[in-house]
Amino acid sequence: MLTCKEMSELGSDIIDRHLGLRTRMAVFMHLRMCWRCRRYIKQLRLTSQVLQQLPLDWEPVDTAAILDKVRKHAE
Amino acid sequence: MVKRLQQGDAAACEAVIRAHHRFLVAMATPLVGQGLADDVAQETWLKAFAAIKGFEGRSRLRTWLARIALNEAHALLRQYKREVSLEGWGVDSGSPIASSFSDKGTWSHPPAQWHHDSPEALLTEAELHECIRKHLHRLPGDQRSVVLMRELGGLEFAEIARATGLSEGNVRVLLHRGRQRMHAMLNHFEEVGTC
Repeated sequence: MLTCKEMSELGSDIIDRHLGLRTRMAVFMHLRMCWRCRRYIKQLRLTSQVLQQLPLDWEPVDTAAILDKVRKHAE
Repeated sequence: MVKRLQQGDAAACEAVIRAHHRFLVAMATPLVGQGLADDVAQETWLKAFAAIKGFEGRSRLRTWLARIALNEAHALLRQYKREVSLEGWGVDSGSPIASSFSDKGTWSHPPAQWHHDSPEALLTEAELHECIRKHLHRLPGDQRSVVLMRELGGLEFAEIARATGLSEGNVRVLLHRGRQRMHAMLNHFEEVGTC
């Protein structure tokens, strides 16, 4: 029987579906009984999705200078 | 967007540079050092715009750019006969939430109930963007790199392992620790309402 602490360590393997059959069954059994771990795994998945969708236009970029080099290179 | 890039639309070219340039520099920095990271990003744009007509959309555009950047990083290191030390990378720093559990391994401080239940809903919070950025910057270098390559860049575990010289197992552990830290940040934001 997995503990909640062990479940938290398996978190990324769970959301990335990187578990062997036996561990997958143990995770399934634990999640059926434990709302805290269900919440944690759901939120860890959400964290991963937020990072994947994070816009990255944080700071100004000198796009003109970059494009200028691209154009010169293409000539 | 890709179609406009393939047609050489200048506004689209500027938009794509604005959207991905900082990511390419951030991803390249630990691999080649601060001084060469800008060169990697610039070379990536030269290669990318020259090859954009062949981009078939099998991966996200950012993932395609990240792959070009990794190749350029290795090419520049070879050219300058330079090696960047990633010493200390891949050492597991341990669970950042170990204190959330009792001696028996059950939750003593379970995560809070969140107000937002989708990435789109979370990302409508403007303050959160700044908070995520700040906490990404605070991650240990190896975790930050793996999070950037995998989550933001969409690269495969094998590609990240090759780029960093770590095993895939190491990469997975680093990604998990990085996610756990970012989750703790989001959990604090949802609980308290500030970064």
